[in-house]
Amino acid sequence: MSFSQEVDPNVAPGAPPHRPRVPGRACSWRDPIRCRRGARPGGGGAGICVGTTPSSTGLRDDKLTPLSSSRLGTYGEGGSPGLLGGTPGEAVRHCSAPEDPIFRLSSLYPYLFPGIIKSRDMSRKRHRLVPETTGLKRRRKEGPVESDPLRGELGSARAAVSELMQLFPRGLFEDALPPIALRSQVYSLVPDRTVADRQLKELQEQGEIRIVQLGFDLDAHGIIFTEDYRTRVLKACDGRPYAGAVQKFLASVLPACGDLSFQQEQMTQTFGFRDSEITHLVNAGVLTVRDAGSWWLAVPGAGRFIKYFVKGRQAVLGMVRKAKYRELLLSELLGRRAPAVVRLGLTYHVHDLIGAQLVDCISTTSGTLLRLPET
Amino acid sequence: MLGFLSARQTGLEDPLRLRRAASTRSMLSGGSDGVIVLYDLENSSRQPYYTCKAVCSVDRYHPDVHKYSVETVQWYPHDTGMFTSSSFDKTLKVWDTNTLQTADVFNFEETVYSHHMSPVSTKHCLVAVGTRGPKVQLCDLKSGSCSHILQGHRQEILAVSWSPRYDYILATASADSRVKLWDVRRASGCLITLDQHNGEKSQAVESANTAHNGKVNGLCFTSDGLHLLTVGTDNRMRLWNSSNGENTLVNYGKVCNNSKKGLKFTVSSGCSSEFVFVPYGSTIAVYTVYSGEQITMLKGHYKSVDCCVFQSNLQELYSGSRDCNILAWVPSLYEPVPDDDETTTKSQLNPAFEDAWSSSDEG
Repeated sequence: MSFSQEVDPNVAPGAPPHRPRVPGRACSWRDPIRCRRGARPGGGGAGICVGTTPSSTGLRDDKLTPLSSSRLGTYGEGGSPGLLGGTPGEAVRHCSAPEDPIFRLSSLYPYLFPGIIKSRDMSRKRHRLVPETTGLKRRRKEGPVESDPLRGELGSARAAVSELMQLFPRGLFEDALPPIALRSQVYSLVPDRTVADRQLKELQEQGEIRIVQLGFDLDAHGIIFTEDYRTRVLKACDGRPYAGAVQKFLASVLPACGDLSFQQEQMTQTFGFRDSEITHLVNAGVLTVRDAGSWWLAVPGAGRFIKYFVKGRQAVLGMVRKAKYRELLLSELLGRRAPAVVRLGLTYHVHDLIGAQLVDCISTTSGTLLRLPET
Repeated sequence: MLGFLSARQTGLEDPLRLRRAASTRSMLSGGSDGVIVLYDLENSSRQPYYTCKAVCSVDRYHPDVHKYSVETVQWYPHDTGMFTSSSFDKTLKVWDTNTLQTADVFNFEETVYSHHMSPVSTKHCLVAVGTRGPKVQLCDLKSGSCSHILQGHRQEILAVSWSPRYDYILATASADSRVKLWDVRRASGCLITLDQHNGEKSQAVESANTAHNGKVNGLCFTSDGLHLLTVGTDNRMRLWNSSNGENTLVNYGKVCNNSKKGLKFTVSSGCSSEFVFVPYGSTIAVYTVYSGEQITMLKGHYKSVDCCVFQSNLQELYSGSRDCNILAWVPSLYEPVPDDDETTTKSQLNPAFEDAWSSSDEG
């Protein structure tokens, strides 16, 4: 349903009553409503425009600058660049300013409610609200720049891992920890889990990444680039009594055995480690005990990371849990200020929650919705 | 898309276990009140929605009825003259179908979680029984006593399954997170303990290998016996290569599993890409076996689904749940289009009652 641009259907035809013009205030009868209609492509795939072609009319164009697609694409939005940035080519019949904070904060995707305009005054107020917030607030909310996680436009686990490493806050740990990504985060970027698992396995076999068991959950595996791991571990054990054993371990065992865990037989017979050396390795934090005679590979100093991670995960889940109906639009979640416990960044945790299926991702017409599962 | 029919159970308790007969269209179901009912699955009415009748049942007044919940029922693999049922009352009973009397009873010291008889074997009549103790018992139907004990697990055995490919290969799943493959002819321990990380294979390592990060609830071989599916309380389902015990790393995502006992799930057979049907809360989740993709969730039950079983002759799935219903799911050949419904209702309207008015306001 589209209307020609000249006619503003909200106003009765005929000369409007003369009102003193307040500078800066939109006059409804002169400019038809220029509202952005968020086109929400349902589900995945390429963003399909719903009908409108962007055309530039009206006063608002300078404010509504078209964003590039990389900034637009978040969590289920398609990448049709012109639509969210440019002005729609048709006047929207009804527009009412919704009261909820979604509209004010995460105005990248303003949500238009078809409503009934009560009076000309009201309509003027609403016209003013809509373009203002869309113009100003959107620029503020530019924060997390990431590509479509549910789409795997990067297509491969390796690219996903590199991108996730960018999200890791190195400064927080004073560069003592190598950047760690989680397997569940890779699932949120690569849509097919089996393919992601197999590619990660290949990378592991080639020796590019190490997969490490993070202690808090048997299912959570951390992914680290081998080079990063090696440099950080060497730096951490510099000058300590166990440095010798650690260097021997890094030189002989790491390249040879790509597994998550090591067994007694392997260590003593194949690689020639003595018991005292194995104790050194455990003290250094490179190995953690799994069972009698078997050890997990570990990252020294990862305890702090795990603590922040677990607390942050609970905090972000709590944000969704406290929302009305236990669901939140992704864009709103990312636009909120992170609670102080979240040290690793909201995006980092959201990737993990989506990939670990701790929240259900539902694509709606206003973007991706995160909802807590009922069970 | 699967539509559903419904088979109302005559008893009031929920049917826990269902079993298909190989030859005729009859189905066994065991309920949590100890009752066993036989259904005839023949669809004699022409309706798309019908109710299957219960042919006969071992009800509460039968002298040999199980005292507690029936956990597993299975037809004798070669004909329907006999079936076996095991229950929480620590017995495994062998029934004669025609007279509905027990032909034999095996007593155990612990509650029986699961039993299975080899579907292909002609050389032996062993029934593998998984109980609350860590030992797997093999009972011989010919001699009427327990012939074998397989030791190796550390906690209760929640599921057992014979391979449909080899006579003597048995898989057992236990609450200690381990799945073991056994050759029952060997005197020494198990053949393989499945390792989810596909680590080094050496004998000494076996004790640390786990198949899941929680209890392993359910086991199902694919119909050709080359792969094995396991589900665990860590909400994961894994596909294993049954010949070398390797984790194929097919990822099905989160498969919710809260069952404290075994979970009976099933694999289709005869489809071009095999599907696995897993009870998921009050729905049944359908995945393709080899690619891990979730096809759909079958919604129809009101409470949690306990078991499901597939009949390959007619490609029907039967599921039993805590709401005392057994539902039959039939593949529908086409999507019901709303237009179709309209045209059918229109055609059913007697033309004498149709009016010739037009409802538009154009004048």
